[in-house]
Amino acid sequence: MDNNNKVTTQVIETEVPMGTIHSAALEPYRLRLFVEDEIVRDAELTIGVNHRGIERIMEGLPVEKANSLTEKICGICSNSHIWNSCLTAEKGLEIDIPPRAEYIRIIMGELERLHSHLLYLAHGSEVLGHETFSMRLFYIRETVMELLRMIGGNRVQYGASIIGGVRPRCELDEMRIQKLTEGMDYLEEKIGEFADRFVRDPMVISRISGIGAITKADARRLATTGPTLRATGIEVDLRRDMEQYEPFEFDVITQDTGDIKANLLMRVLEIPESIKIIRQAIKDLPEGKITNRSWEMQDTDIIRSYIEVPRGKLYHSYKIEDGRVRNSIVRTPSITNINTMEFACIGTHITDAQLAVVQCDPCFTCTDRAVQIVDHPLKKIKTV
Amino acid sequence: MSLKSYSRARAVHVMLVYTGGCNGCDIEIVNCILSPKYDAEQYKVFLTWNPREADVLVVTGPVTKHVEEPLKAIYEAIPEPKAVVAAGACATMGGVYKNIHGDIPSEEIAGPVEEIIPVAAKIPGCAVRPEDVLSGVVAALPLLLNAK
Repeated sequence: MDNNNKVTTQVIETEVPMGTIHSAALEPYRLRLFVEDEIVRDAELTIGVNHRGIERIMEGLPVEKANSLTEKICGICSNSHIWNSCLTAEKGLEIDIPPRAEYIRIIMGELERLHSHLLYLAHGSEVLGHETFSMRLFYIRETVMELLRMIGGNRVQYGASIIGGVRPRCELDEMRIQKLTEGMDYLEEKIGEFADRFVRDPMVISRISGIGAITKADARRLATTGPTLRATGIEVDLRRDMEQYEPFEFDVITQDTGDIKANLLMRVLEIPESIKIIRQAIKDLPEGKITNRSWEMQDTDIIRSYIEVPRGKLYHSYKIEDGRVRNSIVRTPSITNINTMEFACIGTHITDAQLAVVQCDPCFTCTDRAVQIVDHPLKKIKTV
Repeated sequence: MSLKSYSRARAVHVMLVYTGGCNGCDIEIVNCILSPKYDAEQYKVFLTWNPREADVLVVTGPVTKHVEEPLKAIYEAIPEPKAVVAAGACATMGGVYKNIHGDIPSEEIAGPVEEIIPVAAKIPGCAVRPEDVLSGVVAALPLLLNAK
């Protein structure tokens, strides 16, 4: 009789490794999923494959060279790195930047945010299995890439900023302004069509809503940054505090749920805001020179600079000795978001785990530098 | 014409391996094969992540020491005949990571791709342009099609 009561459920726990080279991931990383039946119980994300030691080789480089080296940290947000690195030097050496140069930098920064968000959406659609969306978005993205090539001369790594302003190559003449205006009109129309299609597609919505959700409290605890944080409902955008963005009017978009749907919609809704900023910048573009060359190199203390980039908060710091860079530190938004990626996987089905990582917009080329991630997702993490 | 070269003349599979570059070349290559503007798939060039069905191996990045052995293993897994295309400044000559440094050179870079596996074609550029990627892959094709 006793035997009848002894029904034991046997839990099969398996480890599902993904990577380092995997078809769903554009970049090499290793994801270990600890699975009970079909549900992910724990996740571990390991990076380190593309560690190149950029901060170490920056040590002792002339400031101008070091600035252009920071651009090579990342091929998606390259302009943000060189922009922030130049800002760091300008802050320390007290260089005034001509207003026209500030506006051109903002136009480049917003174009970069557009292409980064469109890439995120295309990659996300591909991972969730909707290739048509992905193709459409790649097609829309080409408009932005062509505009970047027109202004900077290269589709990726355009290197617009130099210390004291922007390169002469990036001057905006009437033809370029005309093309920018046309491009923005086209983009606004197309992204509107896409958003309409996206929210009305019942298949896609049922695939993404409620999955990989991060609550407000979790986001605070995990020190999430950028659009992933705003998708949970916390209204934090460093652009509100940056003096460069003071003349511009734009809304900070937030969502409530923090799941994959909120994250995807977040990026869709941020695109019109970027278009709005670019339009204002074109309309009020100040006259004058674009480079301030009257400055002198001097020794400084450690200089720190934060800006908002497509993925969140970017931090650069170094000090200048004899015109050379010392004690360089770069902290990219994806480093802080790694814990969120691991946390978002927990509790999802194994098929959704990859999507839960992708929802945080990972960029591991940025991340793989001198920092080794040892924090456990449930441990309290100190915000820097 | 053997069965393999017959089938190969009708579909070329490209495998993309990423060895520690900045992502720029990587996205441009995916863009060039998948995206509707360049669309190499219309010329029967397909992207794959399985080395056993690949014909052309496109390598981007300066090859960090972590991926040196995996890269060799991937190269061995591709069936003969095969061709390797090194795409971008990092893959062709080590790029900024190997050649520009301050006091200390980077200790993480195992060198350009040709020091690890034989390279058939090199695509210059930082980052590569999609047009150049297409011409680079096309330049490596005679190696495959003329093989027995």
